[in-house]
Amino acid sequence: MTDPIVSLKGINIRYGTHHAVRDVSLDIAKGEVVAMVGPSGAGKSTLLRAINMLETPASGTLHVGDFTFALDRPLGQKDLLALRRSTGMVFQQFNLFPHMTVQRNISLPQMRVLGRSREEADRVTARLLERVHLADKAQAYPARLSGGQQQRIAIARALALDPQVMLFDEPTSALDPELGLEVLSVMRELAADGMTMIVVTHEIAFAAEVADRVIVMADGQIIEEGPPEQVIRNPSLPRTQKFFRAILERH
Amino acid sequence: MLDTFLALLHGVPVSLAVTGLAFALGAVLGVPLVLMRRAGHWLPRLLARIYIEIARGIPPVVWLFIIFFGLGSGIVTLTPFQAASLGMGLISAAYLAEIYRGGFLTLPAGQDAAAVALGMTRLDRLRFVLAPQVLRVSIPPMATFLVSLLKDTTVASTIGVRDVMMLVTQQAQAAGGGFAPFISAAVLYILLSIPVALLARKMDARLRARTSR
Ligand SMILES: Nc1ncnc2c1ncn2[C@@H]1O[C@H](COP(=O)(O)OP(=O)(O)OP(=O)(O)O)[C@@H](O)[C@H]1O
Ligand SMILES: [Mg+2]
Repeated sequence: MTDPIVSLKGINIRYGTHHAVRDVSLDIAKGEVVAMVGPSGAGKSTLLRAINMLETPASGTLHVGDFTFALDRPLGQKDLLALRRSTGMVFQQFNLFPHMTVQRNISLPQMRVLGRSREEADRVTARLLERVHLADKAQAYPARLSGGQQQRIAIARALALDPQVMLFDEPTSALDPELGLEVLSVMRELAADGMTMIVVTHEIAFAAEVADRVIVMADGQIIEEGPPEQVIRNPSLPRTQKFFRAILERH
Repeated sequence: MLDTFLALLHGVPVSLAVTGLAFALGAVLGVPLVLMRRAGHWLPRLLARIYIEIARGIPPVVWLFIIFFGLGSGIVTLTPFQAASLGMGLISAAYLAEIYRGGFLTLPAGQDAAAVALGMTRLDRLRFVLAPQVLRVSIPPMATFLVSLLKDTTVASTIGVRDVMMLVTQQAQAAGGGFAPFISAAVLYILLSIPVALLARKMDARLRARTSR
């Protein structure tokens, strides 16, 4: 792989004595869409949250875009803010700011983080609301929107900061299936536009269709990875086979 | 009885002023106090904790005596009014810090995580994301506290502030017994607390209507 946009080397994350992520290394190319799957407690969220340093690894190196950090010494505030500026994150619970309108949810971070003027920020917001098909909701408060609409707003809010990579942690798990579909469709468009994406998901059909690579995690480690047709249809490890069979049976 | 009641009205501005100043001082000082209480480092947490326990653990009347006679006789001279406002303000800071802390605890963890992930600075997260939501849930308990503060400031009369309670005492002495002044005071304090309760309810309803369906 030439010039990965995200590169993790020897990442370890511990919660007290619990070793949640064990010596994980991972390179992701620009424009690549990676689906991360695995049983509950495997460490998927923890690893994803290490990429924007929402979790602090005990050791390893982290490279995102123009930044490379050695994680065995504390990072400066400036570096952390810069790292987070170049990554966008979408959460299972949306986490829109309930006391702000949709427009302010998306414009305020642009003004505070990128220093855009209100006019410029609102212009970008309007364009992104078009893109997630919610142009008519600019003045609504999040509580008035469906979960699927809220999640699309959350995606627009993250995109507004022009991230180099988008991180998704089970973006459709809190949604009814049909509302999940509208979110997945926005994500599909985003992938087609060339965004680099890392998606923790249980949506195997989505992973099979959109992902360039599927990563299977268990017990804090990557146990299998490869193109979706290989990993999903024809997994090599018994453990992976069992995992996909269990998911397929549930659907 | 009506004369007594009308006479007490002269104390109302002073009572309201002490209450208002103390509340404002407490509301402002409560902010650094709650931030210390929630700090990552143990030292500010411990200091805030100690302050809060002491401020709440000593009766207000003792505080006012300490501030008025202690502080007042030493470096700075304070009028009774200043000492009462300052003293009740310092106590209020402890109570309001705890109210704010309760507000922080009601916030879903995802709110701060989302703001962090967006790359917002600590101060911006507080100012734009956390504080407005904390304030919103804190309004009802703050209003309840304001009403009890209005009653608690009656101790100001013990260091010579000419508030409603001072006038009550004077009237009672002048009348040589009888409880008309006390009944009047009871009615007056109830009347004073009603607008606060109404206003709080209105603000709460307005904010609620905006942020939920
Ligand atoms: N803040 C925390 N404190 C202590 N332990 C934690 C914390 N967060 C996660 N863990 C533990 O770390 C392990 C990995 O958790 P993680 O949330 O990354 O799993 P996951 O693969 O995302 O699972 P799920 O599919 O349920 O979301 C789990 O055993 C979990 O209990
Ligand atoms: Mg998870």
